[in-house]
Amino acid sequence: MIDYKIKTLGNGLTVVVHQEKSSQMAAVNMLYRVGARNENPEHTGFAHLFEHLMFKGTAQIPNFDTPVQMASGENNAFTNNDYTDYYITLPKENIETALWLESDRMTGLNITPEGLEMEKRVVIEEYNQRYINQPYGEQWLCLRDMAYKVHPYRWATIGLSTDHISNATMDQVDEFYKKFYTPNNAILSIAAAYEPEYMFELAEKWFGDIPSMESEKQNIPEEPEQTESRRMELTQKVPANSVTIAFKMAGRDSINYYVSDMISDLLSSGSSARLYQSLVKEQKVLSAVNAYITGDVDPGLFVVTGQVNPGFTIEEAEQALWREITRLQTEEVGEYELEKVKNKFEANVIFGELNVMNKAMNLGFYTMLNDLPLINKEVDIYRSITKEQITLCAQDLFRKEISSTLIYNIEK
Amino acid sequence: MIKQQPKITAPREINVNCADTLTAQNGVKLHKIDCTEDEVMRMSFVFKAGTRMQTKAFTASTTANLLSEGTKDFTAHELAEKLDFYGSYFDVSLDRDYVVITFCSLTKFFSQTLEVARQMLLYPTFPQGELETYCSKRQQRLLVEQSKTSFQARTLFSEALFGKEHPYGISFDASEYLNITRDDITTIYDTLYIAENCFAVCSGNISDEIESNILNLCGDIPNGKTKVHIEFPTPHTTPTVFKQHDGAVQSAIRIGTLLFPRSHPDFIAMQMLSTILGGYFGSRLVHNLREERGYTYGIFSGVVNLDYDGYLAIATEVSSESTKDAITQIYHEMNRLIVEKVSEEELEMVKNILVGEVMRILDASFGIADVTIENIQNGSDNNYLNKMLDEVFTITPERIQEVAVKHLDPNKFTTTVVGSVNPF
Repeated sequence: MIDYKIKTLGNGLTVVVHQEKSSQMAAVNMLYRVGARNENPEHTGFAHLFEHLMFKGTAQIPNFDTPVQMASGENNAFTNNDYTDYYITLPKENIETALWLESDRMTGLNITPEGLEMEKRVVIEEYNQRYINQPYGEQWLCLRDMAYKVHPYRWATIGLSTDHISNATMDQVDEFYKKFYTPNNAILSIAAAYEPEYMFELAEKWFGDIPSMESEKQNIPEEPEQTESRRMELTQKVPANSVTIAFKMAGRDSINYYVSDMISDLLSSGSSARLYQSLVKEQKVLSAVNAYITGDVDPGLFVVTGQVNPGFTIEEAEQALWREITRLQTEEVGEYELEKVKNKFEANVIFGELNVMNKAMNLGFYTMLNDLPLINKEVDIYRSITKEQITLCAQDLFRKEISSTLIYNIEK
Repeated sequence: MIKQQPKITAPREINVNCADTLTAQNGVKLHKIDCTEDEVMRMSFVFKAGTRMQTKAFTASTTANLLSEGTKDFTAHELAEKLDFYGSYFDVSLDRDYVVITFCSLTKFFSQTLEVARQMLLYPTFPQGELETYCSKRQQRLLVEQSKTSFQARTLFSEALFGKEHPYGISFDASEYLNITRDDITTIYDTLYIAENCFAVCSGNISDEIESNILNLCGDIPNGKTKVHIEFPTPHTTPTVFKQHDGAVQSAIRIGTLLFPRSHPDFIAMQMLSTILGGYFGSRLVHNLREERGYTYGIFSGVVNLDYDGYLAIATEVSSESTKDAITQIYHEMNRLIVEKVSEEELEMVKNILVGEVMRILDASFGIADVTIENIQNGSDNNYLNKMLDEVFTITPERIQEVAVKHLDPNKFTTTVVGSVNPF
């Protein structure tokens, strides 16, 4: 349970606060409702590149990190397909330093052409480090490309190619900043020992006079229903053959989102879960296995993935995975197993609320979903899921015609 | 809309929660951290049973990881079910010196979790079948890791720093997993998982009943007799190592030098020096290689503390074409610390960063438990933090330069590179 208070300032900035009496630290989280989904298909990777630029300083504060560090703080940011998140934790006495910095970069970002060029190089190295110079590194680039044809989830936050990053211009930087980095497109969430009223006052003091901007509702194209299975096979210098199957699943606002999440827990949460016990320990077809959901706001992906043990073929591994997941379509889940994944979910929620930063971040996230009370309701939603719902959801989910399969073959 | 910068408070005093220490009848110490507001409990058992204690490849990690794969009363599957059903976690972490076995659960399910812990710690059976499955799985996983340039560089770096045969430098081929026998594992368990070799740390809302249950478990860990003797040869550092990795678009670079364990009088000063060099986002190396030159997404330096030694390590992945200059720049930044005094302002910032790090760790009970484990491993207690912060707050630019001159001699460094271009 997280207690919170929420308020919208005159300029449209949403402010959510949580009082954490025992903590010496304050966590300040600023979420902008912009992610890779909002990018122009010709200029992908831009939201993430822009996140890097937000650390390149303003006219007033040439180096963003220096004051954070002087205030004993730590800060970072991440971009995903749906939103961009900036966060700072620091001793609570220095909370205003964080607010000062966030308010300053909401209005005064000052990017030079040289700064942009340098940051492009850094992001290209990030691309190389994460997606190229790793075995299976481009797995997610391939999966998205296969699973989505229209919706912007078809590209990863890093972008479709390094060319898109190197082609970014100063004009695009200006336009993006004006369009998305406005108080009415942002959510400020704070977790600290202070009284909620005081935190609202601070928000008003530092952000109240920032003008809101006209915002046009962006239409994100809907992904058409997939009607036939898709498949891609790569032959590369990888250490083991691997099979990854991605299924289209329900969006964040659907009950089947939770049911799918629970199915992924039945399959692979903890070492007692089905896939590990059956395919790694009993049949020994795979050396590692996982099932998870991407957690996107719009309809995302349910992913099942495994590394094939030597001595088994890719076909055998694929069949074994399908056998295990389709069991859920025909055999009812037992009471004990259902109770287990529900307990585990509840524990995970509590483990996920152990410090002020996680709390501030969660408050921002649920506000972004436009359903803040959900933050305290998800355990009950999980508790309410029935065996019948699981069977029905599995029948809907594990269908060949909505699947995309990515195979890695070892290059001999 | 220019707004005045708020005044910054530099914290100069920290409340460190010291653990209460209880001693079980067999001598095992239980360090207890009371966090009455927590809904979760954590309990860690620390054994001096890390990789340096093994006489055969991978046997230390295999023993630790097989504790959960079958016990007197339960199969591996049953143990996994018992933990998962209550949403509890079991984690094994292993380094060169220690094995740390941690159980976490909601407070309301802690007794059930403790039952599983008792089985795993006192009555593991190491079934042959589980051993085989484990070894083949781990062999596969290691092959995946070994295909990464960053992993190769880390392995080669340890070898280059200490020497290929040294317990802190040695690494093994994945095929060695095939040679592990059940006897190897039971030998390690019998000789190292004993009371003389163990302490425990527990945190959360600990009732008297839970406390006595944990203490009973600690007290049931058998006393042992045999002392394991491990050869500790003098480390021998190789100046440069290059490994060709065709097709790599980045080079993985590791640069470092041998130092000393935490008890050395220069340790804290070197920690600060390392922070100035590459220990935070605005550090000199990040500024030079990332912000000024765009060679890398990230670079980091840190001081690593081992029971019998220690070292400074700098780690980065840089674009292949910049490899040579990146190395030059790293040594250039180290040299600057030798020839120029750090400014008062930069030093002040690093002091504030370090105190912030300590505060962040101490703000949650899991962090306090981690710190407690580390302090006890080093033969002290949580008062060490106050001592450390005292030294941090009073350190001078002269002192930083002094340790730089003393410990950043480039002739004593190793530079290890894995990539497609040989920079040497």
